Amino acid sequence: MKFIFNLARRELRSSWRRLLFFFVCVGVGVGSIVALRSMIQNLNRAVAGEARALMTADAQAETTHEWTGDALAKIDSVARPPLVEARTETIEAPTMLRPADPSREGASMVEVKGIEKGFPLYGDFRLDDGRPFDFTLVEGGGAVVAPQLLERLSLRVGDRVKIGEREFEIRAVTREEPGSGGGFRLGPRVFVAKSDLESAGLTGFGSRARRKILFKIADGRIDELVRDLRAQLGNNVFNVRSYKDSEENLGEQFTRAENYLSLTGLVILVLGGIGVSSVTRVFVEQKKKTIAVLKCVGATGRMLTVAYLAQTLALGAAGSALGVVLAKAALVFVRARFAESLPPNLSYGLQTNAVAQGLVLGLLISLLFSALPLLRIRQIRPNMLLRDSGTDAPRRRLDVLRWTVALVVLAGLVFLTSWQAGSVRVGVFFLAGLGATALVLYAAAWALIFVVRRARGLGTFAVRQAINSLHRPGNQTRVIILAVGLGAFLVMSVQSLQSNLIDEFDVARRGNLPNMYLIDVQKDQVEGVRELVGQATGARADLIPTVRARIVRVNGKEIDLDAAGVRAERGRLGREYVVTYRPNLEYNEKIVAGKFWDATPASEPEISIEEDLRGAAGIDLGSTITFDIQGRKLSARVTSVRQVDWRNSRTGFLILFRPGALENAPQTFVGAIDGPTSEPERTRFQRAIVDRFPNVSVIDVADIVRSVSRILSNITLAVTFIGGFVLLSGVLILVGSIAMTKFQRVYEAAVLKTLGARRRVLLTMMLAEYGLLGLVAGVVGALASNAVAYAIARYVFEIDWTFAPAVNVAGVAATVLLVGAVGVLSSLDVLTRKPLAILRAQ
Amino acid sequence: MQSGAEKLTILRELDLTIPDGQFVAIVGPSGSGKSTLLGLVAGLDAPTAGEIRVGGDEITRMGEDALATLRGRKIGFVFQSFHLIPSMTALENVLAPMEIAGFRDASARARRLLADVELTERAHHYPSQLSGGEQQRVAIARAFANDPKILLADEPTGNLDSRSGQHVFDLMTGMNRRRGATLVLVTHDHELAGRADRRISLRDGQVVADENLRDAGSTGSDEVALSDDRAATELEAAQS
Repeated sequence: MKFIFNLARRELRSSWRRLLFFFVCVGVGVGSIVALRSMIQNLNRAVAGEARALMTADAQAETTHEWTGDALAKIDSVARPPLVEARTETIEAPTMLRPADPSREGASMVEVKGIEKGFPLYGDFRLDDGRPFDFTLVEGGGAVVAPQLLERLSLRVGDRVKIGEREFEIRAVTREEPGSGGGFRLGPRVFVAKSDLESAGLTGFGSRARRKILFKIADGRIDELVRDLRAQLGNNVFNVRSYKDSEENLGEQFTRAENYLSLTGLVILVLGGIGVSSVTRVFVEQKKKTIAVLKCVGATGRMLTVAYLAQTLALGAAGSALGVVLAKAALVFVRARFAESLPPNLSYGLQTNAVAQGLVLGLLISLLFSALPLLRIRQIRPNMLLRDSGTDAPRRRLDVLRWTVALVVLAGLVFLTSWQAGSVRVGVFFLAGLGATALVLYAAAWALIFVVRRARGLGTFAVRQAINSLHRPGNQTRVIILAVGLGAFLVMSVQSLQSNLIDEFDVARRGNLPNMYLIDVQKDQVEGVRELVGQATGARADLIPTVRARIVRVNGKEIDLDAAGVRAERGRLGREYVVTYRPNLEYNEKIVAGKFWDATPASEPEISIEEDLRGAAGIDLGSTITFDIQGRKLSARVTSVRQVDWRNSRTGFLILFRPGALENAPQTFVGAIDGPTSEPERTRFQRAIVDRFPNVSVIDVADIVRSVSRILSNITLAVTFIGGFVLLSGVLILVGSIAMTKFQRVYEAAVLKTLGARRRVLLTMMLAEYGLLGLVAGVVGALASNAVAYAIARYVFEIDWTFAPAVNVAGVAATVLLVGAVGVLSSLDVLTRKPLAILRAQ
Repeated sequence: MQSGAEKLTILRELDLTIPDGQFVAIVGPSGSGKSTLLGLVAGLDAPTAGEIRVGGDEITRMGEDALATLRGRKIGFVFQSFHLIPSMTALENVLAPMEIAGFRDASARARRLLADVELTERAHHYPSQLSGGEQQRVAIARAFANDPKILLADEPTGNLDSRSGQHVFDLMTGMNRRRGATLVLVTHDHELAGRADRRISLRDGQVVADENLRDAGSTGSDEVALSDDRAATELEAAQS
């Protein structure tokens, strides 16, 4: 035991430098896992822990309709003191806001929230000027607005603005609002008094407004109220939930995010593991003589294997510990750099369980990946000391121990990935995906070696030597291509996906899609809106009638959203559908089943459904669906099924009525138009519409594209960052591989120098060797990234795919440069060392 | 690089017994099988046929690990090219066999052994910091570490100049005499061989002469015996 310990210690003392890089790799992997897990757990605590503040209540009832007297009576019957300690109502909706002074330009979409005294029940406002929030700030025509609005319309506190027909005075600016969870918004937030909003004359406003009743509930009785309210309100027009539901929901999402993100860390760690495996193989090769001598003086194969395993574990432990330090550094960096845009109560400490997981992972990966190469120690025989070219023990045809260990290693990896992914299925798929990618890269490396072997006679002396280096015994070609290629692959996948997504959203390039939507146009405003659009663009506005409808029965059977089979369909069936009616099919629609109606009005209601809806709760051709249209029931038969090409549509409807049934139902019109092209004209046009029809909202797609692009580039930055880490570990493996085989290069270079090779020749040799490695890694990474980005674009985002040549060329070039530079820089002393000393030492 | 393996007969019909405490020199031209014979005795190689007894134990059927343990307990080995472990200091090289065998008080003993080979001052130097003669003296100290009953030396002076060679030889034989161990020395040097108790000459894998140079030693329990009744000891050799 003492010998094992001493040997491990002594070997570590002499070889840690050579092994260093690989364990830095393990460190980077462990660091990313610990940092990501800690960060997300902290976020979870900060956000999910604040679920009550986000909801600004213990529980809420929500509807997209007006509260009916019946519903309110039911709520009153349950939500009474002492069960309910406080209660307040809000209305939220996207609408248009414009300066009250007609001489000032501009109008903006805003998300207005009408509140009552008592809001918020939990959480608080933070105002720009440090004043505490008070309801008098909004009472009687006041507005408290987000700073972005002031920026967008060049407004100041004290200015007057109009929403609908009503004027408001901006009285304060928010720095933080209660219940702000970030997320996507159509415009800046504006708080006004609920009664003022209701009197703003926004006809049709009700249709898109979300009305909430917030409750503060006596301790420990939240579930009771939620249960009673659900039982009372029953039907799906009202949604009742408590902050605990959100907490649970958020917690689940965070856990999933945490697990998926830590898989990225695991990629880095596995890459480090592959490095460990490769370095251990070379290491054993280099230690053959030492091992033979030790066997000669009485050490058994088992002793030596255990000693070297102990050495690997010691380095693995050191690497893991380094990882924890790196993780802490990363969190400090995040605080310094991003604290502004993160929740204020977020902690930046490391989580104990994340640290424990990181340490265990680092050790296990080091152990699993070094086990097989270390088994070779058994086969080294001491007789090599008598003859220079000692032979290893002949390999048994079936080395039981080797296979057993290989199986244990595989099982260990499955365990690790499943553990990290939080699911065996995902773990196995992840491992298989990683294996497949590795296989492709390995095959590419093998092909490279195969080709260069045959190209030995080609090129100048330097190039021939470079080629020789790629397939010399103990070469690291495969490992470098695998590590660097994987990094390049990840970075390029993300980049080319981003370039495709941005293209997709860039409406300017997609001529057939509208760049402005007009919503909430009332029937009697259609002609007026057409006129304004005609003046601004010269084109006739296509205004489409829309009716809001909810499915209540299918084939006469009531839909019970809580029934087992329907639960999964809740999202599809429980929602409110926007439906329209027209006699014709649009250019982007085609019938896949049944027969589309002709232009004559129907005698009985008929509908055509989109094929996505087929199958939900048994809906199919011939089914009779009963709709609830603002309280009135209407049954219609499905006579055709359509397929809509959504990517090529100005508007799209899942449910289409044959003319004749809905003409008299309450409806609003939607216009999809190509607005004026220049920015000032667009602003003027929006203002003109809102001045004349204050209830009509204008959605400028260009604004949305800008927001989406911003979000997209943030996501891209984050993923590129992680991809960069993978690339970094690839580079570390590269540097480590060079360090491992450097003694051989130094000796060769010395011999070549004595034979007359100048440094330039040696430098060319190295550049050619590493350039070629970088080229293969880059090209394989680029090919794989296009395949993956194509698949994701086509099947996940369902957008068109175009090859992005710039990303590919830049990616490959960067990889070649990186590998070339790193390779040459880490072998500089090969060029500078004097040959005599080296030759003497041999 | 291995380009193929073919059967090569290195040692043929051979029947040798080396009694306890005897100093035997094995001489012969290159390729006569001297080193192979030594390797067989140390269990570094296995014969194709025949048996080898070391101190009464039949070693040809022992596994690698059992052989390693046997070497650690009974056999010291000195190589022509020293074979010190480059990552260990002189002291640690001497310590290694004792630590492997689990000896107590190994450190003091290792220092004594280094003093015996006159290297007290160099205990903390690495092999690369020692001259050839010094390296071989460390190797001798290491060979004696576990007080072996048998010392095997494969041309221990072959890589040294005559002065250091002489010094190393004197140290080795002197230490051996004091301990009364069996010494088997493979050498090209006829003068050194002449100082042994017995000289065995090999040619083409066969014993061509076995001379008793002086009457010393007696057959004891730690004798080494090689017998090969079935014609040949074949070894598979890799050719490069």
